[in-house]
Amino acid sequence: MEIILQTIANGILVGALYGLVALGLGLLMGAMKFLNIAHGTFIILGGYISFWLFTLWGIDPFLSIPVVIIAMFLIGLVLYRLALSPLLKLPNIGMRIDTSMLVTFGLIWVLDNVMTMLWTPDTRTIMTSYTGETFRFFGTRFSITGLGGVGVAVLVAIALYFILIRTYFGKHIRAATQDAEAASLCGINVHRIYLFSSGIAIALAGVAGVIVISTYSINASGGISWLLIAFVVMILAGEGNINAIIPAGVIFGLLEAGSVLVVGVPYRQAIALLVFIVVLMFKPQGLFAKRE
Amino acid sequence: MSFHWNKLLIIGALVIVFIVPPMVMEIGTAVMNLLIILFIFIILSQSWNLMGGYTGQINLGLAAFFGSGLLVTHYIWKAGIPIYFAVVAGGLSAVVLAGIIGLPTLRLKGAYFAIGTFALAEVCRIVVGNMFARMVKMPGSYAIDYSLIPRYYLGLIVAIIAVAVVYWVTHSKAGLAMVAIRDDEQAAQVTGVNTFKYKVYSLLISSFLAGLAGGVYAFLRLSFHNITAVFSPIWTFEPLMAAIIGGAGTLMGPILGSVFLVVLSEIFALTLGEAHLIIFGLLFILVVLFLPRGLMGGADMARTWMYRMWRVFIKPHKAVM
Repeated sequence: MEIILQTIANGILVGALYGLVALGLGLLMGAMKFLNIAHGTFIILGGYISFWLFTLWGIDPFLSIPVVIIAMFLIGLVLYRLALSPLLKLPNIGMRIDTSMLVTFGLIWVLDNVMTMLWTPDTRTIMTSYTGETFRFFGTRFSITGLGGVGVAVLVAIALYFILIRTYFGKHIRAATQDAEAASLCGINVHRIYLFSSGIAIALAGVAGVIVISTYSINASGGISWLLIAFVVMILAGEGNINAIIPAGVIFGLLEAGSVLVVGVPYRQAIALLVFIVVLMFKPQGLFAKRE
Repeated sequence: MSFHWNKLLIIGALVIVFIVPPMVMEIGTAVMNLLIILFIFIILSQSWNLMGGYTGQINLGLAAFFGSGLLVTHYIWKAGIPIYFAVVAGGLSAVVLAGIIGLPTLRLKGAYFAIGTFALAEVCRIVVGNMFARMVKMPGSYAIDYSLIPRYYLGLIVAIIAVAVVYWVTHSKAGLAMVAIRDDEQAAQVTGVNTFKYKVYSLLISSFLAGLAGGVYAFLRLSFHNITAVFSPIWTFEPLMAAIIGGAGTLMGPILGSVFLVVLSEIFALTLGEAHLIIFGLLFILVVLFLPRGLMGGADMARTWMYRMWRVFIKPHKAVM
């Protein structure tokens, strides 16, 4: 019994992080139809910025989040201006998705090696005074950093929800998502909306990176595995269904934690990915898609 | 099928340039190794090209086919069967793998296909990493008469086969269907092309070539410290880069791209170290953004431009005189 409760607890802790990891990818794909393969690499970059702030100035990772958000937001703006905005000229959406995939794929190459040069290929983590501390609750243990991650994930998701639903900016994003041409005819500056959404998406990747480096560890070429998780969660939630991403992440986390009980740790990721393929084949619109 | 004698002549000359020298003179080990790696890259990028360039399905799972070809070739060769059969068996094993993992994913469209193949390749990497925890290596007797010459010729032959197969497929009816699928899948289906069937053909042929490339690599390297390294996404990404930089959807593009990538990485790796990969990444982004048809398309554009310049600046003078 205890082991099952512990598994569920682990699944939720990990799953909230998985949801957080996928938020930026889901926003960029849902709102603009840019498939950002370099998403995992941006997560690692955010982690490294937090790592620098911690080792150079001793800033706590959770307190460094605002700084990381600002830095990554600016990087997102540059990314949109230089690499993504030329793709808007392409004739159809399918080509935009494919080409953005290839462009950001080249970006992985660049960023991976820039990061290797800046921060060496060593695996890095942040050891604060409370790393490894746990919190007991009815016989199950929660790690403090994991709980912090859940808190940040929920806060970020709520903030994103309010931005998208309750502000004019969010309304403009949703309008541009539905029909960019009609939105621009209504007087919405679609390019500016896209610019800021890219910034927000990359900033979300940065936040995820901070949580990743404080709960796990990162190395310069580790972006690919986080990218895969982000893909899986995004597709489980359904493309463009940003509000469902955190629940989808928790489901994926529970699935992964549950498969540890059945097949053991080594095949954990393989099982989760196989389930993902099955979902992709039979329910490509995602688990949370609204009935139409 | 019409023959282009000029092109055939160039290809023949190239083949002779590659076949004769190793027989008559001693080429350094480093150069031989580089050439064999180049052949492997040509095979892999042609394999990716058939699927990605001609059929328009971006396959991010090439590494799984490469790796399975490598593993099967390795073990069959170890069992004492001649390497040439082992390589073919490796290619066939990749076809079987494509049948198992590729066919379900082919029902997915566009970016979902890319994500699906990527995920399945990762599953393969994890499973193989768990199955072969120790170093995979040949017994010492295989290393006694190790020589690069047969490896060189095997690589060359397989590379020629790969190019020929892609040429033959793309100049057949199936090739037309594949290009139609790339340009507009729905329209192709409406006009009566069985799109799923031709996508399957494309995937199976492409995976066979990737498996052969794995076989050549298994012949070249006798031991693998960490077998997951041959399943790592880098074996998908580098051929993809070669194909796209050279020009996806052309026959010469992937060859040009492979030469470009392998030779330049050899030159830059010595002088620039890590930084050369940054240059490749930037170059790749620039090619994708500004030369959608790669270096081959760039050459075409330059030719038209020069022709136009010639017409504008030189011809009028002649007309006046």
